[in-house]
Amino acid sequence: MLNSLLSQYTRSLILVAVLLLIVILEVLEVRAAIYPGLLPFFEWARSSSWLGLIGTTYGSIYATVEAVHLLSMAVIGGTVLATDLRLLGVVFRDLPSETLTKGTHKVFSAALISAIATGIFCAAGVGDKVYYMEVFWIKMLALVAGSLFVFLVKQPLLNSMPHDEINPWTIRLLAVTSLLIWFTVAATGRWIGFS
Amino acid sequence: MNQFIFDIAVMLDNTQWSTLLHESYYMYNWVESTHVLTLVLCLGMLFLIDLRMLGYAFPGVPASSIADRLNMPMLIGFIVMFITGILLFYAVPVRTSQSVWFRFKMVLLVAAAVNAFMFHKRMNESVSTWDNDAKAPSAVRMGAILSLTFWSIIVIFGRFIAYDWFDCEYTDAGSLSQLLSGCINGQAQF
Repeated sequence: MLNSLLSQYTRSLILVAVLLLIVILEVLEVRAAIYPGLLPFFEWARSSSWLGLIGTTYGSIYATVEAVHLLSMAVIGGTVLATDLRLLGVVFRDLPSETLTKGTHKVFSAALISAIATGIFCAAGVGDKVYYMEVFWIKMLALVAGSLFVFLVKQPLLNSMPHDEINPWTIRLLAVTSLLIWFTVAATGRWIGFS
Repeated sequence: MNQFIFDIAVMLDNTQWSTLLHESYYMYNWVESTHVLTLVLCLGMLFLIDLRMLGYAFPGVPASSIADRLNMPMLIGFIVMFITGILLFYAVPVRTSQSVWFRFKMVLLVAAAVNAFMFHKRMNESVSTWDNDAKAPSAVRMGAILSLTFWSIIVIFGRFIAYDWFDCEYTDAGSLSQLLSGCINGQAQF
């Protein structure tokens, strides 16, 4: 019984375990204890890592990578909007949502890899600045939550059975959660520029 | 021509609303954030259409379905992006009008608009013959590649506007960058 439950819901259980771990770390104030220890890493990323050195030395390269980061976010936004608005029944109502979900996922994954790679470069260039920004940590949390949500919950559920066999409210909840998480990632990313 | 652009920019810069928008921390940030977030909406949709034509996204979905359904959200995103772009220009008119990146960006926007017109014309003329094919014909694919290229460079140049590498204040009189930026000899307002 327990084995079948574990094997059937492995990904969902991993997600719940991760969320519980975050809550436990927060309650035990482990995060607050770890935080000061991360500063040397961020300082090293900016002043000693080759990513940080390139970013701080060549402004044009840094600005170009920033723009590629933005373009990657645009593609993520496009795929998320197309998929989630279809799941909500707002657009593409004449197309099977299974086709649309599969069609966008590869593009989404490629754009996410590009956004993370360029994002690491951008963060390294201003490592000692973003470390102190609350909005940066909110973005990181939203990014991790969004990635876990897509790969451990949303895609496995949408691929597990025809969408008309899934409870419509579950589908709507998936779409709204996804829209909220990725909007948070985009909005906090923009706000980093103002902080 | 440069003198005319400069005079218009100075006139806009001297209006109260331009100063208010520029000096308002939250309002300016909201306008800029809206500009970037609607860029995500507009380009996200546009890139999906282009990737469909190139065969990288939704190969099993008719190309006309993708283009028809995504055109509207793309246009909504573009209109909001355009309005907020005008507001951003209005907040800092002199420096922006003399930014070499802004000038290149405007030229590329016109090129992207012409390409979009040609792309839709070619597509509408022939889509019934290849609608269900994974890849569009080469002429339409070329339009999609140009669209991706133009818009990627537009975003990169848009990002470059924030940097002061070639601002009139910091470059030598008579230099190529001053020529391209349209700097005016002896100008006192930046």
